[in-house]
Parts: sequence; structure tokens; C-alpha cells
Amino acid sequence: MEESILRVKEVGKHFGGLWAVNRASLDVARGSITALVGPNGSGKTTLFNVVFGLHKPDEGCVYFNGERIDHLAPHQVYAKGIVHAFQIPRLFYRLTVLDNMLLAARGHKGDGLLNSVVFRQGWQAQERELADKALELLNLLELDHLTLSPAGELSGGQRKLLEIGRALMASPVLLLLDEPAAGVNPNLGRKIFERIELFRQRGLSFFIIEHRLEILFDFADWVYVMDRGKIAVEGKPKEVAKDSTFYKVYLGD
Amino acid sequence: MGLVVYSLDVLVYMGIFAIVALSLNLEYGFTGLGNFGKVAFFLAGAYTYAIVMERTEIPFYLALIMAMLVSAGIGFLVSLPALRLREDYLAIVTLAIGEVLRVVVKTEDSLAHGVWGINVPPAIHWSGMSVLESRMVNIGLVYFCLILCFILVQLMTRSPYGRVLRAVREDEVAAEALGKNRVKYKAQVFMIGSALAGLGGGLYAQYMQYINPYMFMPMVTFTVWIMVIVGGPANNWGVLLGAALVMLFERGARIIKDYLPLPIDPINFQYILFGVLVIFLLAYRPHGLLKERQLKTKAIEGVQQWKNRSSE
Amino acid sequence: MVVNWAQVLFNSAVTGSLYLIGAVGLTLTYGLSGFPNFAYAEFMTLGAYMGYFVARQLGLDFSFASIAAFLASGISGALAYRGVFRFLAKRGANKIHLMIGSIALGFVIRHIIGDIWGWPAVTFGISWPAFDIGPVRMTTLWLGLILTALVLAVIMHLLLTRTKTGKAIRGISSNPELALASGINIERVTLVTWAGGAALAGIAGLFRGAIAALSPLVGWAIILPVFAVTILGGIGSFYGVLAAAFIVGLAENIGVVALTQLGLSTEYRMAIAFIILIVTLILRPQGMAKSFRRT
Repeated sequence: MEESILRVKEVGKHFGGLWAVNRASLDVARGSITALVGPNGSGKTTLFNVVFGLHKPDEGCVYFNGERIDHLAPHQVYAKGIVHAFQIPRLFYRLTVLDNMLLAARGHKGDGLLNSVVFRQGWQAQERELADKALELLNLLELDHLTLSPAGELSGGQRKLLEIGRALMASPVLLLLDEPAAGVNPNLGRKIFERIELFRQRGLSFFIIEHRLEILFDFADWVYVMDRGKIAVEGKPKEVAKDSTFYKVYLGD
Repeated sequence: MGLVVYSLDVLVYMGIFAIVALSLNLEYGFTGLGNFGKVAFFLAGAYTYAIVMERTEIPFYLALIMAMLVSAGIGFLVSLPALRLREDYLAIVTLAIGEVLRVVVKTEDSLAHGVWGINVPPAIHWSGMSVLESRMVNIGLVYFCLILCFILVQLMTRSPYGRVLRAVREDEVAAEALGKNRVKYKAQVFMIGSALAGLGGGLYAQYMQYINPYMFMPMVTFTVWIMVIVGGPANNWGVLLGAALVMLFERGARIIKDYLPLPIDPINFQYILFGVLVIFLLAYRPHGLLKERQLKTKAIEGVQQWKNRSSE
Repeated sequence: MVVNWAQVLFNSAVTGSLYLIGAVGLTLTYGLSGFPNFAYAEFMTLGAYMGYFVARQLGLDFSFASIAAFLASGISGALAYRGVFRFLAKRGANKIHLMIGSIALGFVIRHIIGDIWGWPAVTFGISWPAFDIGPVRMTTLWLGLILTALVLAVIMHLLLTRTKTGKAIRGISSNPELALASGINIERVTLVTWAGGAALAGIAGLFRGAIAALSPLVGWAIILPVFAVTILGGIGSFYGVLAAAFIVGLAENIGVVALTQLGLSTEYRMAIAFIILIVTLILRPQGMAKSFRRT
């Protein structure tokens, strides 16, 4: 197994007595597309939320590049290089598509109060560069014609794409995608995964929750199947697809 | 002549409250912070200025700066527990702060004579100064400060920093996930907003030349909120307009008292009308008179031009 | 200084009773409608003035005043819900808009009252017989207040556990989607809660106006402790409010003793409620409610 970029070790998270994640352990290999699948309510999104810092785990630890990150706030996890895209897009709907992209950028000097108000030269040039990068990405996602439209005017599929585009804009090391192909037509879904593969070749690692197994299994390197908070099965997609436990989990006993 | 002096008086009030309204716009309009205790920071600035001017020989401009610092300090203290709270909890806490501060200055006679109030010397004064001259001096002072404040909030909000504030307002969890430390941004905005309100308070104290606790009731907070809602949240020009309109209305209501026999006391009438007006505005035009404009930095303008050219 | 602890305890019961009656409506409407209604203070003030009108200006017995307070505030609660808050919500108002709307409504009510009855404080002019039981001095008014609170507690308990509406309130608070799916008429339950809650607020205001002086700010005088009780008890929880009211009452009265001992003004009494509020929000924002299985 290649080097693990993300290690989830015996993580547990409960809400009012109900264990959404129950002693789950997994590894995401560097430069891989690792999948997390499982029926609704199996704890996948909660696990993602723990990884990117929205929740603190009640048990266990999370390591990124060997460093413990489970106690960090989301913006600190982002700083380490993990970027999360939400299942239901959490865009800034009253801001433009371009604004949404620019907000995702890492290390924007203009984010600082002094820089924005006083030392304005510092970020003007940088913002131009970032705008160019954003346009490039938007072009790739075929959203560039909507660059200056408010994000609220986008259709469901376009919002999904923007959510992913924003995450890519953030120069991530590891990208957590929560159902990137959900709610879009299968062709677009496949296109999205082709883009993911493209970025994987550029060195990004991906950890993806997805229900569209027929697309996912064509692209994933390793699959984890989650059931009721635990990891039930893991392996290469072809092996998992043949595993009887996998079917039991999805169809119920 | 009386009318001129009176108009100048209205203008001074407009200027002072415009500063406070801009501070609330920064907090609520751009960052989504529902600060229902604005009067607390206005009070803190007013009282700091008054106490400093009463007890020391410090020049007025330094006293104003101290007023800002004290208000910012209180803003910082409040922000520690309050900014992580949900919006309704923040509202309750800030509302409570206003009341508590008022009780403190009312009770602690040693601070500023409690209910008897405290006299405040005007900032700029010379012997033999006429009322007209005094008004003009205040206009100069207040509007100088207002222009500085306006420039500050415009610079803050028309920039990537302002973009982050809007993002925190729209969806703070998403903003966090994209690396923005929401607590830091909220705290900075809250402290600056408090400082500006404190400046307004100091200017108010030296203009009124006398303050007591009864001048800092929740009505002040409410009046400032109306200015922001009427004018347009997240539009600084709108808020200036809102401040002007609300002040005109308020002062106008007092004049009417002398000319129109109304069955109802004009001040009560004014607030009843304000209340009804706010409810209607919230229902039919919550974005105010001047809507929020999209953020335009040079880079974005560049993109816009490029787009316009490529579509030709 | 020797402290009459028995008196302190009794006073706590009086204060707690007032806060209980005042906070029930606030916590239930806050829980159901999702926002704090800052005009709540004015529901209290309105009840007080209706009672004043009946008792002082019409010269009727205090019990009639109570009925007047209850009805007047109850009706205004229903009108406020229908005419203002539901109206705003239907026009897309978010939580902050609703809060601002409630402050606006408060101003309207307060200034209407101020215009009709004037701003200076007035009194009911009723002299309540006082007597001593052991070391404790009490008046019939205070006893009436405690009795009212007890009766209210019993009625609320029965309402919440035995009646359809009561169970609906609990259901909606704990699981709105399920409540909707199970066919509860949420609209009707909400209206009843707003009306009933406001009516109780009116009673609280009436008692407060009778105990202390009466002015258009009488509701505001106790709104901070009422909010503290609501938050401490857990928004939407009657049982939480029941416990929190007496905790706050006790804290305030012990606090007053402490303030006097320290030579500080008893005006800081309200700061006690404020401290409880802040500490609760920092340490346990959901209040005590989770310890109660029921609403």
C-alpha cells in the first residue's frame, strides 16, 4: 500500500447516545482516488465532518501526513491542505460565481484587514492572478459564461460543479468530495469524474463519498464500505463488487 | 436665523448617528452580526469622553480616541463569549449588555454622577462664540470624522476582506471550510464597529454638553437599526441616506408639535410610526432603499471588461 | 449583619413565581417559532395596564383586573402572531428580521400605552394586608402570586401530558417534521401557544405592576431575568423554566443579600440575571432541558 496521506484511526462520534460513527478506521493513500460508500445513514458524511474539523471525534484520532488533526477547527484543517466540498452545495448565493471562487483561494493577501485597507498594492496583482486561475477552472467546468452571475442563479447541476470548482480552486492536497455526482445527469457525472482523474494525475489525492457506484467504481483505486458507523468491507472496486457482505450492507440482511 | 441654526442642529445629529449607523452596517449589513446592543458602545464612548474631559486636561481629540479605545475594549470583552453564539443568542446578549452598562453608569455616582448626569465641555470653543458658530464648528468636526469613518468602512468592505465578511454572513460554516477563521473576522468587525460607535458617542457628548443615563435607552439602538434597514443593509451610501431620512423624520416630528395640534404626543407618534414602518419595510423591502452592490475590485472589473469585449 | 434567611427563601419563591409565570409563554413561543420575541415585555406591560384600568380606573376588584390582563394580553399575543410574525415569516423574513420586527412591535405597543396612560409611574393604590408567619413577612399579594404560579405549574403539567394540544406542543418542539407528518395542526397549536403565552405574560406584568410601580417600562424591568430563565431552562421546555425560575429567583435574592453586605447598590440585581444568562450561554447553551426527558 502506498503511503497514507490520511489516516482515520478508531474514530467514534455520537449524537445524543446514537453512535453515527463507531470505531471506524481507514487509510487514504497519497495520490489515490479512495471511495467511501454505504447506505444512507451509515455515517459517511459524519466521518467527513470529523475529518475536516466540523465535529470533534468522541473517540479515536485523525492523522494527515502523520500529523494529528482531529482537534483542529475547519479553517485550520484547510490550512493543512484538506479541502471539503459539501454534499448539498454551500455556496455564497448572493455573491457572484467569481467571488465564490476567489474566496476559496489559499493565502489571499487581501484577506487580512491591514492589507485590504492600507497596503492595497499587495493584493491587487495577486487578485488578478487568482481571477485568471478561477476563470481557467470555470472554463474546465463549463461555467465560465456565468462568472459574474450571482451563485443563486445557477441550476442544481451547475451549483454542484461550482462547489467542486471552489474546492479545486483552494489548491488542496487532499480533496474530500461528498457525492460529487449527486443530482446531475449520468453524462455530467462521468465528466466530473474524468476531471477528478485529471487532477489526480496532477498530484491531488481524493477521498470521495458517492452513491453512483457504476461511475465511481470505474475511477476509484480503493473502496471502503460503511455500515452503521463501521467499516464493513474494503478493497479494490472489482473485489468489493464481488463481495457478498457488500450486497448485504446495501440491500439489508 | 433660527431656522438656519435649527437645520445645522439636524445636520449635526445626522452626522453623529450616521457614524453609528455605518458601524452597525459593518457588523450586520456586511458580516451578519445582529448587534442589538449598539447603544452600549455609544454610551461607553460618550461617558469615556465626558469623564476624561471632566477630570483631565487631555485635549479633545485624544479624549475622542480614548472613547474609541474604551468602546473597542468593551467590544472585545463582549466578543469573547458572544461571537460564537447563534444569532438569536447574540441578539439577547448584546441587548442585555446595553441594559447592564446603563445600570452601571446610573448607579455608580462616583463615575459620572449617576442620574444627575455630567456636564461635557464642547470640543472646540472660544469665548464669545455664538450659537451659529458653535453649530458650524460641530458640523466641521462631526463631518470630518464621518468622512474618515466612511472611507474606512468603504475600504474595508470594497476589498477581499469585505468579500470574506460577506461570505461569513452568507454561510459561516462554508467560509470556515474554505479557510476563513470566522471568529477572527467577527471579532475584528465587532471591535471596529464598537470603536466607531464610541466615536459617535464622544461626539454626541461634547455636542450635547451634558449626558445622563436616560439618554442611552434601547431606543438609540432601535433608531440606528431603522437607519440601516431603511437605507439598505450592506450599502454604505444607503445607510447615510437612511440616517438622514430618519433624523429628518425624528426632528420633523418635534417641530410638528408646535404647528399641528395632534391628539397624540408627537414623540410617541414618531415611535409608533417607526415601529409600523420597520415592520412594513421588513416585509416588503428588507434590502432597503439602496440595494447591496456586487463587490468590484480592479481584478473583477478586469474580468468584466474582458467579458464585455469577448461578447462583442 | 444578621440575615433573615427564611425571608430570603420566601422572597425567592415570590420572585421565582413571577419569573415562572412570565417565562412560560416566552419559552414555548421561542421554541415553537424559533426566535426570541422581544415584544414579550410589552405583553407583560399591556396586561399590567389593562389590570390598572380595571382596578384603578373602573374601581373593580383585583380578580377582575387579572381577567382583564389575561384576556387583553392573550388577544394581543394572537394578533401579534397573526398580524406581525406570521405575516413577516410568509414574506420571507429570517430570524434576525423577526427579532427586529419584535422590537419594532414592542415600540409600537409601549408608545401606545405611554400615550394613553402617560410615562410617569403610577400605582394600583391597593393596600395589601401584610402579616408575619414566624420570621417571614408576607403580603396577600405575594401569597397570591405564589399560589398562581403553583396552579399554573399544575395546569401546565396536566396540559402538556394529558391534552392533545399539550402533547402537540411537545411533539412540535422535539420533532417538527414528525409532528407535521402525524397530522397535528401546527398552525392552530402555534396560535394557541402565542395567545396563551402572552396571556400569562399579562398576568406576570400585572403582578409586577402591583408589587413595584407601574410604568410603560414595567415589562422591560423584568425582561432580562425572564430571558435568563428561558435560556437557563432550555428554550421550549416548560419543566426547564419551572426549575430555572426558582434558581434565578434564589440567585437574585441571595445576590441582593451579597450586594448589601458588599456595600453595592441593589440596582445591580439585574446583573445577576445577566451573569446567569452569559454563563449558561457559554457553558451550556441548550440550558437544562436535556436533563428533562419531557418538553
